Formats: sequence, structure tokens, C-alpha cells
Amino acid sequence: MVEALAQAAWAEADAALARALADADVLTRLVKKSGPAVEGALAMLRQSLGQAARKRGLTRLEEAGARAAFDPNRHVLIKISSKQPKDVRIVIPGVVRGETILVKAEATPVSPRRKR
Amino acid sequence: MSSGWVLCIDFGTAFSKAAAAPRASWERFSPASVRPLMLDPAGAGNPFLLDSAVFVEAPHVLFGSAAIARADALAQEKRAALRSFKTLLSAGDLERALETVPPASIDPTRSFVLRDLIVLYLAYLQAAMVRGLAADRMLSQVDSFERRYAAPAWRGGDGARMHGAVAGLFAEAETVCRNIGQRLLDPAGVDLEAAREAVRAARAAPTPIQIGLIFEATAAAAYTAIGLGSAATHLAVLDMGAGTTDITALAGQAAKGYHELPQARVTLKQAGDFIDNIIVNVALAKSRAKTPQAQTALWRMLKSEMRDFKEALFASGHASFRFDGRTLKIALRDLEQDRDFRGFAGTLGEAYQHAMKLLADEARADGATELQSVAVGGGAAAPFIQNLIKRTNKIGKVKVMARPATPDWAHAAEFAGNLAPVFPQLAIAIGGALAPEGMLAARGSIPAASARSETLPARD
Repeated sequence: MVEALAQAAWAEADAALARALADADVLTRLVKKSGPAVEGALAMLRQSLGQAARKRGLTRLEEAGARAAFDPNRHVLIKISSKQPKDVRIVIPGVVRGETILVKAEATPVSPRRKR
Repeated sequence: MSSGWVLCIDFGTAFSKAAAAPRASWERFSPASVRPLMLDPAGAGNPFLLDSAVFVEAPHVLFGSAAIARADALAQEKRAALRSFKTLLSAGDLERALETVPPASIDPTRSFVLRDLIVLYLAYLQAAMVRGLAADRMLSQVDSFERRYAAPAWRGGDGARMHGAVAGLFAEAETVCRNIGQRLLDPAGVDLEAAREAVRAARAAPTPIQIGLIFEATAAAAYTAIGLGSAATHLAVLDMGAGTTDITALAGQAAKGYHELPQARVTLKQAGDFIDNIIVNVALAKSRAKTPQAQTALWRMLKSEMRDFKEALFASGHASFRFDGRTLKIALRDLEQDRDFRGFAGTLGEAYQHAMKLLADEARADGATELQSVAVGGGAAAPFIQNLIKRTNKIGKVKVMARPATPDWAHAAEFAGNLAPVFPQLAIAIGGALAPEGMLAARGSIPAASARSETLPARD
């Protein structure tokens, strides 16, 4: 029973940790030009979060800036779109633990590649 | 439940670990049956790791994390815990080294020789294993285990003699554990007089035990190769620990055992500690620590946080630290541009290529078309190590497959993501438990038949 409870608590913690990791990415983008002290503090926050995440076996889903075929199971669009895009550009990577996706990657639609 | 299980101890430099697996794992592997033991369930850290430390302070002897905490509290009084036993076990003249009287900083009571302190620690480890086995729903049903311990390959090659000596320590520890029992796990320690009497009695009457030796590189081969079937006949293991970086080339058939290619073995004295010193020097150069006091403070701070700092540096390519009100960032390229580092990386690259060529020649001669390569130890995740093992895809017609430091099976759904993060630290104990008997380097009955302790033949 204790094991089961501990496991349940960890599952909750994983979700929160994964969310915090993605939130730290958002924050990094917003305060990038606010001076070295803020950047330094943010770097430390990201480092600790990253470390905690790795120690819990969390890894990133997709890479920021990468282009991928839209998969609703892996990606969430930053802005609501009436039409499902074919391809997306990853803005904020998601977070996975083993085979379980804890946070989907945030993405924006990109125009289909032109045929030459 | 009858035996049919193997229990392997990794008597590590900083931590000890233990894991159990069914004896038939090699033929019928089920990842869910791999059972690492919770050796320190009430500790503040990873419950699977037991600190390798003994601290003597009359009227008690303390073990594990309690020993480290007390030694830290008394650091200003030049007191220290005995640690890094494994380094001692690789001494050229082990029997003589074991009879050495430790310095007063370690035993101010002058009650023990190093052998006694190691036996006491092994008894503590044994008590922790008994507790860990009882707490495991599956293992608590098993009445006996085939026992093994993992150790580095000894340079002199006299595995049987060394195995006899080390197994003798385990036999004495068994007697101490039977005498003192679970009191060994009391954070307040055991009574010094009782400990002294117990080691004296154990020397006179060690408990006969059966224990096997598996070399660490072979244990790494076992957890890497299990489940790969006939593909895993030739394997290179690059092990970067704290004090040495070792390259071992193994060939054979997993079920029957591997033999080492001695001409391919390389041991470099530069390893994790060497990398740590470069990082500290880079940090000192980047900091504004001008006075000796400030430099000492920075050195202490970085050394104490080095494990996590390196983990972040290797994982993300940069790591930051806060010192004197400023945040300083070190990038991986700072390390890679260091002259000493470049010299080490060059030597390591040449040694690795040399070993791989010899292994590929052996593979060709054996009719194999593929060889495996894996990095293990604390430095396995370092990008320059990973790049090294992934750089070569083919040697002549022999394909080279770089295997991950954490095998795919450790990500199996049965573990719900819980094994992979801790796998690197438990890897050797797990590999030692999974390995078929043919992979053992030595085995024997101790002490009654210590003369029968035998080094197993290199080839079947």
C-alpha cells in the first residue's frame, strides 16, 4: 500500500515537474532581454528543473524550431485553428516519461512545402 | 520457493548496491524479474544506494550515511570516515594492505586494522541486504541465493588468489552479521567493544560461504547483451570511472562466457577526477576569485556539487553555478578547448580505435559480422565518450553497433519509467545478477575450501 501511495504521489509530481519544465521555457523566451542577473537566475532555475526531471526519467518530446507532421497525440497548437494543419513548427518542446507523454509539444502551423 | 535466484553485490567506491535476478534469466529474460534491493529505505538519498563508509568514534562504530554525517561534523577536528575500500582491494599485496593500521584520523582508538573495518562494513552491507530481501514481496519468498560480487579486473591477473582473499572477507563478515545482526543498521552505530570482539571471533571462525566473482566489464556486457541473442558475440566496454578509464574487449558466446582480449586492454589514469579538476580550473579562471580564501571557497563548493554540475553540463552542453553573488556559466566547449583535456581525448581515441581494430579482427576470424560497443561508469553520458563510441560504424566488413548506456529493456513498461533514471548506478549489480555462470571470473567455497577457489578458464 505504501508503495502504491508513493507511486501515486510521484505520478502527480511528474506531471507538475513536466509542466514546470515547459513553463520555464516560456519564461526564458519572455525575459531573454532583461539583463544578466535575471538570465543567470533563470539559467539556475532551468538547470535545477532539468536535473530533477532527468532524475525522474523525463525527457523532451521534439526540439524547439523543428518541423514535424502534425500529430494531435504529440502536439498542441498554440493558437486555436479551425483547420488541422499538415505540418507544424515546434515552439516549446513537450515532456515524456518512458512511453507516456506528460506534456504535448506546443507548435504553430507552417505552410506546406511548395513542390518544385 | 527454491533458490534458482542469483544475488550480486556491487561493492562500489562511493556506494554499494545489490540486485537479484532469476538464475535462468539468460535463457528466458523477463525484465520485470530484475530486483534491485532497497539497501537504505529510510535514508535521505536514493534508497538503492548504501554509502560505503565506516566511522570510528568511541564508544561506537558508525556505518553508511550516519558515518559520513558524523565525519562531516568533525571535519574541522581532522577526523575522517574510511571510504573507497575498493581502491584498497586492488592493492598489489592485498593481505599486507589489509593488515595496515589506519591513520588516527580514521581510528583514533587504535582498535582496528583496515581488514577489521572492511569486514565490519561488509557485515553492515549484509544486514542491509537481509532487510532489503525481507522487504521485497518476491524475494522474501526465496530461501537461498547464489551469491556473487562484482570487481574490476585485477591487473596482475591472479584472480584466484585475490578472489580467495576478498571472499574470505565476506566469510568473516557473515560471522559478524550473525553475531551482531540488525543492530548493525542502528543509525547510532554499534558498540565499539562489541565490534572489536565480533571481528576477532570472525577471524577465528569465518562462516563457510559460496561466492563467485564477476568482472565489472563482463557484468556490463551481460546487461548490454541480454536479449540480443547471437548478435552479441564481440563487445567493447569503455568504462570511465573516477580514477581510471578502462577499455575492455570481450569475445565469445554469451551463454558460454566471454574471454577478454588482453592485448586490447587499456587503462588510462585520466578519468572522472581528471575532468573534475579541469572544470574547477575553468571555473576559477572565469570567476573573480582572486584571494586564496575565495579560490578555496570556490574549489570546495564546486567539488561538493561536481556530480550534479557535470550531469547538467553533459546533458545540456552548459551548466551554471552561483558564487559570490554572480551566476557563472561553463560551456562544454570550455572543457573541450582545454589543452590537457584535448591530450586525454586524443590518447583515449587512439586507445579505443586500437582495441576496436583488434576486436574486429577477432570477430572476422570467428566469422562474426557485427560487434557491439558500450560506455559504462560515471563518465558514460559525457558527450565526448558517446561521440567516440558512435563515431565508427564499420571496421572493414564488420558492423559496429553502439549500445546505449541504459539498455532498451530498462525502459520496459513494467517499470513505469522508474528503473531507467537509476539504472546507471545499479547497472553492475544488475548485470552481475543476470550473467550466466559461464561469465564468472572465479568462484569457490570460502573458507573451508579456499584452496579450491578457482579462476575459471578463459575459453570453454
